[in-house]
Amino acid sequence: MTNANIKEYEPQPSTMKSRLAWLWSEYSVIIAFVLIFIASSILNPRFLDMNNQLNILMQVSIIGIIAMGMTVVMLSGGIDLSVGSVLALVGVISVLSLNASGSILIAVFTALLVGAFVGFLNGLMVAKGRIASFIATLGMMAAARSIALYIAEGGSVSGEVSGFTAIANNNLWIFDYPVIIFLAMTALVYVLMHKMRFGRYVYALGSNEKAALLSAIRVDRIKIGVYTLTGLLVGVAAIIETSRLNSISSSSSGVQYELDAIAAVIIGGTRMTGGRGKIIGTLFGVLILGILNNMMNLMNVSPHLQGFVKGLIIIIAVVFQKRE
Amino acid sequence: MTAEPFLTMQTIDKSFNGVRVLKNVSLNIEKGEIHALLGENGAGKSTLMNILGGVHQPDQGIIQLNGKMVKMTNPRVSQEQGISFIHQELNVVSDLKVYENMFLGSEIRNRAGFLNVEKMLRETHDIMAQLDVDINPKEYVRNLDTSYKQLIEIAKALLHNSNLIIMDEPTTSLAEHEVHRLFELMRNLKKKGVSIIYISHKLKEIKEVCDCYTVLRDGQVVGTGSMKEEDLETITRMMVGKSISQERFLHLHPFGETALQVENLSSEGLFRNVSFSVRKGEIAGFTGLAGDGRTELFESLFGYRKKYRGEIKIHGRSVKLNHPRKALKAGLGFVPKDRKENGIIKDLSVIHNMSLSAMGNFERVGFVQEQTERKKFQHYKEMLNIKVHNPRVTIDKLSGGNQQKVIIAKWLEAQTDILIFDNPTQGIDIGAKQEIYQEIIALSKQGKAIIILSSEAPEVMRICHSIHVMYQGEITASFKGEEAEEEEIMQYATGSKREAVKID
Repeated sequence: MTNANIKEYEPQPSTMKSRLAWLWSEYSVIIAFVLIFIASSILNPRFLDMNNQLNILMQVSIIGIIAMGMTVVMLSGGIDLSVGSVLALVGVISVLSLNASGSILIAVFTALLVGAFVGFLNGLMVAKGRIASFIATLGMMAAARSIALYIAEGGSVSGEVSGFTAIANNNLWIFDYPVIIFLAMTALVYVLMHKMRFGRYVYALGSNEKAALLSAIRVDRIKIGVYTLTGLLVGVAAIIETSRLNSISSSSSGVQYELDAIAAVIIGGTRMTGGRGKIIGTLFGVLILGILNNMMNLMNVSPHLQGFVKGLIIIIAVVFQKRE
Repeated sequence: MTAEPFLTMQTIDKSFNGVRVLKNVSLNIEKGEIHALLGENGAGKSTLMNILGGVHQPDQGIIQLNGKMVKMTNPRVSQEQGISFIHQELNVVSDLKVYENMFLGSEIRNRAGFLNVEKMLRETHDIMAQLDVDINPKEYVRNLDTSYKQLIEIAKALLHNSNLIIMDEPTTSLAEHEVHRLFELMRNLKKKGVSIIYISHKLKEIKEVCDCYTVLRDGQVVGTGSMKEEDLETITRMMVGKSISQERFLHLHPFGETALQVENLSSEGLFRNVSFSVRKGEIAGFTGLAGDGRTELFESLFGYRKKYRGEIKIHGRSVKLNHPRKALKAGLGFVPKDRKENGIIKDLSVIHNMSLSAMGNFERVGFVQEQTERKKFQHYKEMLNIKVHNPRVTIDKLSGGNQQKVIIAKWLEAQTDILIFDNPTQGIDIGAKQEIYQEIIALSKQGKAIIILSSEAPEVMRICHSIHVMYQGEITASFKGEEAEEEEIMQYATGSKREAVKID
């Protein structure tokens, strides 16, 4: 009798506890974001200033767009180290096409095409060549940078068409175009990953490739699609990067972007081995990184120390996720 | 024979969770004897050996070595007593050299703490010479044949001065000439006074190399004696047992036209010249021992493996299947074995697992309609009696039986005419097993062609209309379901009998 009673009462607290655990595991990055946001507004009153807030959004937009692609790649169980170099390469080529054709539309189109094509090559190497994504994209990272340097003879190229800078420097109401593009890309990737079959397949592939294949999913095509999508998003990011200063440097543009993007994805709670993670998580991961950068600038932390703080945050984020 | 056997295990009893796995089991092994330990899957062989190896503790009973009582409290004690266990999967590191493998974990070092390579090489060489084999101790293990890898394990056992070696199905991954090499080695060891306990399903091999046998069934010793005095059929009968034949669910109904026809399918090293056909409404069973090639055969058929020759006809049309997607389009569904590795996608929810192979059924203008998915899952939940409170939880939260039902629902949703089930009741409790059998029969009544792969002959006998027995990649016999006898199936599965002409 007593045994039966105990059993009946047991589920109550355990579901409470499991609900809290679920809340934490699903939304820990949002909770962390809120905490960091509150802490920042207490530490420095200028943080909450509207211009400062919009500035943060503007600063994260390029990395944010790349991080969306990186999330998809990492959900599929891969990684793309080439994004920074590809950004430089796409930037250089699109500026050249801009100057040659005089048409902004052609420049934008070229950027998207080149980005997607390089991503497609990454996908081919990973899916058909069966090269580990780390190696394939490491190779692409070196190769794309080298070609960018060769084309631009090691220097920068500048746009000669007026109006091109409008893409990154104009605004709609209070929002700069890059912020709007970033949010639009986030929405796009969100729909693709959570509302369409492509996303379902990517999760399946990242979780268990053999089972995905045995479920009659065309695993190779999905992989190629994933890297192509990332390349395309890098193309979008490259347009903004180039348009911002009306020029791109073949040697210094996009350097270490892959690390920032991967950091945002990891902080956002996506598992390194794939199959688990959320687009919304990455969005908040990007925002957390943005706030940290902003706060360190506001509080006059030496720029040489900022990498240390960033590294610390990544490691803490991963330690917390391990406890699931 | 000496008065004292080398090893005696007396009246061993062992229960797991209140289920008695071993009942009053006794085993005697003489010095320098090769003793076969026989029994079907789940008869208690591994439990008994794990007790001897110190992995499990017996609830009752004693173990004596050379007349002295010993308590195998952990695997280390067992090893120190001179007992070595060679498992089915080989524990050699292929990127190390032979001598490095031999001394792995017990390397010889000189006083300064550096490895004494010279001495290890010499000792390895000595032992190899003892065994009459010619291996260069400096060779990398990855360059060696599988039989040599097995040999290294045996040599390792000798290095530890083992006088009893337990071999658990050592020949499953060996080619025929390698098996002979192993047997020669075993006879050499016997001459040196080493005893061997040999676990295998292959009766022909046992007849060839073993001196004595002990048969276990349902945790009890049902026979023991000298190998010479017994013929294989008697032993097979002992293993199977006559009394326990379970009721057959076999349901006879008229079949439709041929749904799947396979002709001369071969794949290098996996299967050879396999031909069979399955008609609509028919349940065809494939059985055999581990490593008989049936899983590889149907993985090839499903397009998962690509390197094979032969012809596949589905509904009379010749098809080329080199990707699971093509197999699905051609009308094949496949519920794989090892559910955890091949079946479920553990990070996806129960509903998403169900819909994965037929996403097209849930789409409208390219968007997935989650509501349609939920409704459809509700339908399967009732139909297959899937027990789940919230189908949005990830599938790994479900019990094995319910996971399997979700995988079955996935293939029902894909609406293929031919369904292949590889080991469908693996790790599933009895209640869910029955339900899965019933569902398979219901599907066959609807006119689907069904293929069941199982290593358990009784399972295929219960529900299959036709049974094909495989041995080393070939179909060695085919029976009508109602005519099949377990003993006969076992004889073909173990290779002790072969059929020249197949019956239709």
